[in-house]
Amino acid sequence: MMTKDQYIESLRKLNLNLWMFGKKIENPVDDPVIRPSLNSFAATYELAEDPQYEDLMTATSHLSGKKINRFTHIHQSTDDLIKKVKMQRLLGQKTAACFQRCVGMDAMNAVFSSTFEIDAARGTQYHQNFLNFLRRVQDEDLAVDGAMTDVKGDRSLAPSKQADPDLFLHVVERTPEGVYVTGAKAHQTGFVNSHEVLVMPTISMREGDEDYAIAFAIPTDSKGITLIYGRQSCDTRKLEEYNDIDVGNKVYGGHEVLVIFDHVFVPNDCIFLNGEVEFAGMIVERFAGYHRQSYGGCKVGVGDVLIGATALSVEMAGAAKASHVKDKLIEMVHLNETLYCCGIACSSQGSKTKSGNYIIDLLLANVCKQNVTRFPYDIARLAQDLAGGAMVTLPSEADFRHPELHAYIDKYFKGVASVSTEDRMRVLRLIENMTMGTAAVGYLPESMHGAGSPQAQRIMISRQCNMEMKKELAKKIARID
Amino acid sequence: MKKKIAVKFCGGCNPGYDRGAAYQEIRSATADFAELSLPTGGEHYDALLIIRGCTGCPYLYEEIDADARILCVKRDDIPEVIENIRNIEVKE
Repeated sequence: MMTKDQYIESLRKLNLNLWMFGKKIENPVDDPVIRPSLNSFAATYELAEDPQYEDLMTATSHLSGKKINRFTHIHQSTDDLIKKVKMQRLLGQKTAACFQRCVGMDAMNAVFSSTFEIDAARGTQYHQNFLNFLRRVQDEDLAVDGAMTDVKGDRSLAPSKQADPDLFLHVVERTPEGVYVTGAKAHQTGFVNSHEVLVMPTISMREGDEDYAIAFAIPTDSKGITLIYGRQSCDTRKLEEYNDIDVGNKVYGGHEVLVIFDHVFVPNDCIFLNGEVEFAGMIVERFAGYHRQSYGGCKVGVGDVLIGATALSVEMAGAAKASHVKDKLIEMVHLNETLYCCGIACSSQGSKTKSGNYIIDLLLANVCKQNVTRFPYDIARLAQDLAGGAMVTLPSEADFRHPELHAYIDKYFKGVASVSTEDRMRVLRLIENMTMGTAAVGYLPESMHGAGSPQAQRIMISRQCNMEMKKELAKKIARID
Repeated sequence: MKKKIAVKFCGGCNPGYDRGAAYQEIRSATADFAELSLPTGGEHYDALLIIRGCTGCPYLYEEIDADARILCVKRDDIPEVIENIRNIEVKE
């Protein structure tokens, strides 16, 4: 496995075509806006080295028998699925941010089982191609971005019916050595911190969409790939002279980018789906299921930090003993642990696929994610309720450090006598960061839309819920023939 | 001769106490009669000390060869864990 330092050095060797704020970024590793997201990703390597966490952070490869990072593992049991959720909660607790590596793990597990079944049905060689890729990922402990979401243009039209054919990523040229693809993948979490990108189709497809039914893996710095960094609220606070207190979370963060593929070459042996439209939906459904499970771990860990910060803020204000405060903190815990229950439940009810890996219970995974589209918002609301208005009206750190202003701010933002004003400011800024600032991107809208927007889960719930059986149950009790 | 004790941590997703600090406390309290270390493949140990963060973890790490298993699942267990290590009878 790679150490944290080896991972960071490996990123320096990537030649990404990355743009942010209208400028090309030559050194993303040391860029102050990007670095916190790298630190979060690097935590997936750092914790795997620590004996205190290795039981969750590592696994044994079913291919090589070697110890590997769990983020490169193909789940071999329901126990593996449960440990995945626990690992994600752990990393959420340690970073209070999106650590970005789940999407690749979920993509690899979805493509692993899907390629096995495509080959069985169509006589293709995709599973062997994927196994070769997987062995390299595990042996070299590579970071993989899972790329699914196309920009989609007119949502009422199929990929092949769009006015602009590039609004869904597609094959534009075929050669004996491989294919060339053009298009874009949106909201790509952790791409800048990844060595490889695993591209999948974004929706179920039908006849006529063959050029769009394409899955493959290539290096993130392949020729023809351009990245445009997504900006986050309060992101430029990281560039200010005083950039400690005001950023809320100085060390960790997350990121998303728009990934543009402009006539990018994909060799034949890196292709995992190529025109078999009837299997696009299988990959989408399985990836979405795994990723909806993931949110029952990572967001819970981030929620743990937010609940802790809120509890600190009320203690610092001298309000911790008020009964309504205690009750609201309990409500936050109840909501958070309900999400965890869902993550654990869909994992424990997982089952073996034809390929041998394990998949979560899809109904419970979709219920999990549906709750994730709601509860973090409720938790954030309660956090803002208890933190009070100072969270958004505090003076800047620059003012706090100013010799003429420091004494005023120190005096008038003081809470209980035993806590310094600076510590109180730090906790309030952390709550701001997680509910309104850069980390809110990961904790709130990502909870809403990541792994599919709420309606996508409701469609899956309707498909999986076995309504006919429920009606039969009611008929029997009501004595209807 | 000191007793050979392997130490295995649970993954630590939601620990109720500082497992690292507990380990340090147990290690210094048993330093005169026990040697605590992370397990290595193929080694035999007089006992395996499993430091869990909560009661929800079922693993006993059967793959680690040890004559006894000692569990620490909360901070309050530390005195008993120390006594258990002290009282282990080393098999010839």
